[in-house]
Amino acid sequence: MSGKVLTITSGKGGVGKSTSSANLALGLALSGKKVVTIDLDIGLRNLDMILGLENRIVYDVVNVVEKACKINQALIKDKRTDNLFLIAAAQTRDKSAVTSEQIIGLTNELKKDFDYVILDSPAGIESGFRNAMLPADEIIIVTTPEISAVRDADRVIGILESNDKTQVSLIINRINPTLVKKGDMMSKDDVLQVLSIPLIGVVPEDSNIVSYTNIGEPSVLHKDSNSGAAYKNIVKRILGEDVPFMEITEEKKGFLQSIINFFKE
Amino acid sequence: MGKVLIKGKNFLGFEIEIKAEDINKIKKELDIVISSSAHFLKNTIVTLKLTEKNKLYAKDVIKFLNEKDIDINAVVVANKKNCAADVPIIETRNIHLLAEREGEQAATFKGNLRNGQTIRVDGDLIVAGNVNSNSYIYATGNIFVLGNLDGIPHAGYGGNNEAVIFAFSMNPPQIRIGDFITRSPEEGVKIKNRNAAFSEVAYVSEGNIVISTYEEWLKLKR
Repeated sequence: MSGKVLTITSGKGGVGKSTSSANLALGLALSGKKVVTIDLDIGLRNLDMILGLENRIVYDVVNVVEKACKINQALIKDKRTDNLFLIAAAQTRDKSAVTSEQIIGLTNELKKDFDYVILDSPAGIESGFRNAMLPADEIIIVTTPEISAVRDADRVIGILESNDKTQVSLIINRINPTLVKKGDMMSKDDVLQVLSIPLIGVVPEDSNIVSYTNIGEPSVLHKDSNSGAAYKNIVKRILGEDVPFMEITEEKKGFLQSIINFFKE
Repeated sequence: MGKVLIKGKNFLGFEIEIKAEDINKIKKELDIVISSSAHFLKNTIVTLKLTEKNKLYAKDVIKFLNEKDIDINAVVVANKKNCAADVPIIETRNIHLLAEREGEQAATFKGNLRNGQTIRVDGDLIVAGNVNSNSYIYATGNIFVLGNLDGIPHAGYGGNNEAVIFAFSMNPPQIRIGDFITRSPEEGVKIKNRNAAFSEVAYVSEGNIVISTYEEWLKLKR
């Protein structure tokens, strides 16, 4: 088997890289693919918590590349599916604890046994980002519809282009239809006009994400979650299915609901 | 014969001109023309010239050509109305400036210039794509941006105050021409409506950098 290395990155911090990594990794695993995800945000690890696996960490990615343990010992199996494994970041070290050669070596090993190796990149454009970007076969950029996030994404795309990374696609996260309609937020098309790379998904703003993160259950596990549905569509697109983009609209108001609202007022 | 033409343009690479009106006929004729000339349409700037009748098919034609490995950089029509495409749409009246310069030497950059990137050239510079925020372009001659200009341009770098800057959509935070510099007014809309944008030219007049619409500038020049 020769799997694919998929890197999730963004430039700016806090736009949803780890949340996207967790959802896509879990979504791909639930679709029957064998997936390992590696948290490369060494020193500021989060992915273990978002996946609800923080209690199970014994060995981390630094232990693996320093050969203090075998790869198998650092693979933390997910509690919901046998298809998903996590290699956690080290919390007591920093980005300089690993080199890009080491990460390329590790992903080459993992590609033999897994369909997808998902690398969760740290924010920024320094060594941690380079370690995550260099081994990638495909890269997904996450941005929010804010000018600062879009500009950072643009910078990252420029760096990827100069490193001959051509398989790059975009997730626009936290779109708020009410604000877009009012003209206070960039729309999907505004973002695409600046970045001009293929879109792979649009994820609506979802206030439940905070609680999903707190309990360690990514939104793809929640049937009624808007963001979960969007991530499931992205998973299908990664798997090569042609899924139309959902029209993200304001909260659904049926005919009955509008009558009820009318009488409430 | 003559419904689909490929013309060599010294300045802008190649232009595919389509006069046929039926989409199936267009595809058939394109197939014939391309089979003999696909090799020189790769890795160059290719524009697509459509008529008022067949501009509705812009997206289909571009997709068809993409499948043949030919990227279209811009669509040229007489009137933008009712024409939709994922590449810049240029109205013919906005391209005279470029046509005038046919035959002159210019450096061409194809693609988008990203945040943090810089281009420096001697002579004129044409960017066939967008110049994004926080990128820099320097040319000792004129600068033509066939796309959105959001980065910082410096035309006439080294002291040529006669240089001009042209862009389909001009929105840079600063403009530098020769020895002059000006900055964009600080109040104003951050999210500019791109579809309403029209081509503009920046130049030095009486010691100030002035921006006019392309048409006004043409009138002044005469």
